[in-house]
Amino acid sequence: MNIEKIRQGARGNIGREILFYPVIDSTNTAGLEKALTSEEGLVILADSQLKGKGRLGRTWVSPPGLNIYMSIVLKPLIELADATLITITSAVACSIALRNISGLEITIKWPNDLMFQNRKIGGILTELKSELKKIVFAVVGIGINVNSELKDFPEDIRRMATSLRNETKKSFSRTEIIIELLNELNKWYAVLASDREIIIDKWKELSSTIGRKVKVVSGQETLEGIAEDINEKGMLILKLLTGEQKKIVSGDLIVLS
Amino acid sequence: MELEELKALIELLKDTDITELQVEKEGTKLKIKREKILTSIEMPLQKPSAIYNKPVEVPSEEDTQRLITITSPIVGTFYRAPSPDANPFVEIGSKVEKGQVLCIIEAMKLMNEIESETDGIIVKILVENGQPVEYGEPLFLIEPL
Repeated sequence: MNIEKIRQGARGNIGREILFYPVIDSTNTAGLEKALTSEEGLVILADSQLKGKGRLGRTWVSPPGLNIYMSIVLKPLIELADATLITITSAVACSIALRNISGLEITIKWPNDLMFQNRKIGGILTELKSELKKIVFAVVGIGINVNSELKDFPEDIRRMATSLRNETKKSFSRTEIIIELLNELNKWYAVLASDREIIIDKWKELSSTIGRKVKVVSGQETLEGIAEDINEKGMLILKLLTGEQKKIVSGDLIVLS
Repeated sequence: MELEELKALIELLKDTDITELQVEKEGTKLKIKREKILTSIEMPLQKPSAIYNKPVEVPSEEDTQRLITITSPIVGTFYRAPSPDANPFVEIGSKVEKGQVLCIIEAMKLMNEIESETDGIIVKILVENGQPVEYGEPLFLIEPL
């Protein structure tokens, strides 16, 4: 990973300041610690993570030398109620960047998993600090499986995970991917500030969820139905087998067919 | 053996773990036997899910007047702990400081840590773990200190 080259290649707010760690607990944890005292656009990169964060305390497998573990500090001037658009925007930017680099048809599984066919190639976890219904900052954590081979994944996720290398049989420059990611993120965050409808439309175009039969495990509830649409905040509109429409705000989604 | 002596013997045994005692005195044989009484019971540690599933109590109106209500700033899912295996951030009776994390509200993989607005004691937890919450929905009642 060539940090100097990334600094030179990143055009825009995001990536103006980059911190790199050979090993770190979690880039998101570092982002949360530094967010208050840093400018918007701080990027934290690590070669490996000891406690890479997944949703609800799950671990993001983060071996050294192979993949991208990156967190971005944002201070968006949008309402807290619209904060979910940050994750939608991040997913759009990352899937486009990965398509540009690899030529693979990377899709988005609601809300923001980066998929190749039925396997996860990247994930995004955002942690937010708010005060008096305002966003103080958001730390967007992005993990991309770049050069991992299947043997590098723990056995229990081998069937569900993949990497750019595993799908193309080529290895990729992490430096070039990070530059592409930062440039797409800069571009799409600018769109978020001006026209969010474009982002929702783009998300739908890149999604492999809409129109599919899905199962959603949300809290203590499991629901099955057709993923009909997302609303203006990115929430999933699920049409249940009974015909009733339900708005889903969070949960694990499995595409059934 | 005098009745008083017998009483004293029984009294003596009460605070011990002895379950059987034989006494022979002046040709009288006495045998006291008792079932062991459990004085402490070890309970298996409660799993977080058992704690979470406590019924939700709604406080009376006069109670709520002096209390501070922490509400959800977003639509999402309410979590009392950072992960399903972790201890809850707070319990009823927990002393909290201003700025301390009370729970997480998740909306679409966006985790929003909700902090206490005041120093105080958690009096009520109004939502169960994993439940959906609406904007402005009361989550905690805190007695300010």
